[in-house]
Amino acid sequence: MSENAIDIKNLTVKYRNFKKYSIKKSLFRLKRVKFEDLLAVEDVSFEVIKGEILGIIGKNGSGKSTLLRTIAGIFSADEGTIDLHNQSISLLSIGVGFQKELTGRDNIYLSGMLLGFSEEFIKSKEEQIIGFSELGKFIDKPVKTYSSGMYSKLAFSITAILETEIMLIDEVFSVGDQRFKRKSYEKMKNLISKHDKTVVIVSHSLNTLEELCDRIVWMHEGKIIKIGEPKDIISEYREFMSS
Amino acid sequence: MKRIYRDIKKYWNYLIFSAKADLKTEVSNSYLNWLWWVIEPLCFMFIYAFIFGFIFNASEQYFAIFIFIGISMWNFFNKTITYSIKSVKTNKAIVTKVYIPKYILIIKKMLVNAFKMMISFVIVFIMMIFYNVPLTWGILWFPVIILALFIFTFAVAVHLLHFGVFIEDLENVMRIVLRLIFYMSGIFYNLETRLPAEYSKILFNGNPMAVFLNSMRKALIYQQQTDWQLMIIITFISILLGIWGIKRIYKYENGYAKVI
Repeated sequence: MSENAIDIKNLTVKYRNFKKYSIKKSLFRLKRVKFEDLLAVEDVSFEVIKGEILGIIGKNGSGKSTLLRTIAGIFSADEGTIDLHNQSISLLSIGVGFQKELTGRDNIYLSGMLLGFSEEFIKSKEEQIIGFSELGKFIDKPVKTYSSGMYSKLAFSITAILETEIMLIDEVFSVGDQRFKRKSYEKMKNLISKHDKTVVIVSHSLNTLEELCDRIVWMHEGKIIKIGEPKDIISEYREFMSS
Repeated sequence: MKRIYRDIKKYWNYLIFSAKADLKTEVSNSYLNWLWWVIEPLCFMFIYAFIFGFIFNASEQYFAIFIFIGISMWNFFNKTITYSIKSVKTNKAIVTKVYIPKYILIIKKMLVNAFKMMISFVIVFIMMIFYNVPLTWGILWFPVIILALFIFTFAVAVHLLHFGVFIEDLENVMRIVLRLIFYMSGIFYNLETRLPAEYSKILFNGNPMAVFLNSMRKALIYQQQTDWQLMIIITFISILLGIWGIKRIYKYENGYAKVI
């Protein structure tokens, strides 16, 4: 029954030090620029089982966020393959792309449609999203008037309520006030109890990961050091970070 | 090809909704904002009509409508092109958070600009009634020419979107180029009568905007035959260019997020 939700094989993602070009330096030299390749993710292979909660840890700049963005299809993989088995996917990270001039309500629709949901479906979830976000009457104010906390709360609510089959979460447990943090944490736990959702979480809060995750991937400088039980990996990681 | 069709279908709802939202934003910023969609081209028309009709003695019949058609179509082209160059950068928030075929952004802006163009054309038709321009079947050319203009604008915009990501000063260059095209399209003078035949021929063969403007005027107000042969050629080339551009975007778009 343990079907795979995500298969990642030999994934390599490079950041080219694309020097942005200007006409001054001639359009035609564009192709002859020497690229300095920066390997953000290097030869990474693993799979995520359906219904699993996978945590990714690693120090800053170890390629965690790049990996998530590549899985979400925002970055291109330079080598290797990612197989999502035709499931819908969404990436949740701090400061999701809202159109600042528009109201929160309009942004719910825009984000939802970008994730591939129909207008009717979003409409049916609209009240739930607004309720969860605790924004109240602010929902009809332009997003540019929001505080950063409200902004993130709305973003979290949209992705959490409009559930996709695979959810990628990039460091959002620091969202909002104490109460909202606990609520979003509960929501995540709730999602976990439904065993058809696959979740990949990147976070620095090790306690959260230890409690939520089924397995942990430890990344270091673009490579996977270890995959395994949260307890073992996290205690090892703690040792590593304090040394 | 299939993918293009599938993607446009998939994002169609988003397109419509976000285009509407864009228009709504413009209106909500100040309640009279939609009036500017009317006032701006009207004012430019008065300026050109004054300078060229009065000072340079332009003698075109229905000169006000002549200019207004030119400005309406030019604004659509100009605004879409200017936007396309920085479209990926402008939408950074979306582009770095979720996958979207990048040319969808262009189509969205085209819908917004097309809506404004339609408002301008409502004024054109009102003016035609006001000046008692005889109505003919030529009016059927209107949607055809608009469609050709759409395809041509899109074809240019997709390529500029791609290069706009990588080339920083493309915007400056395009501002100059657009100004040049503006003067060469005969927005406020008649290319056919003001220039010696050999020059105007070169301009028509090399500048699709001139062809579109000229044809629209002939069809709507002068009861003359349009340059339909040229328009067919332009449309055909534009379709090829557009598909090429979309393919290029598909190939490179996941790299865009790394650059901006």
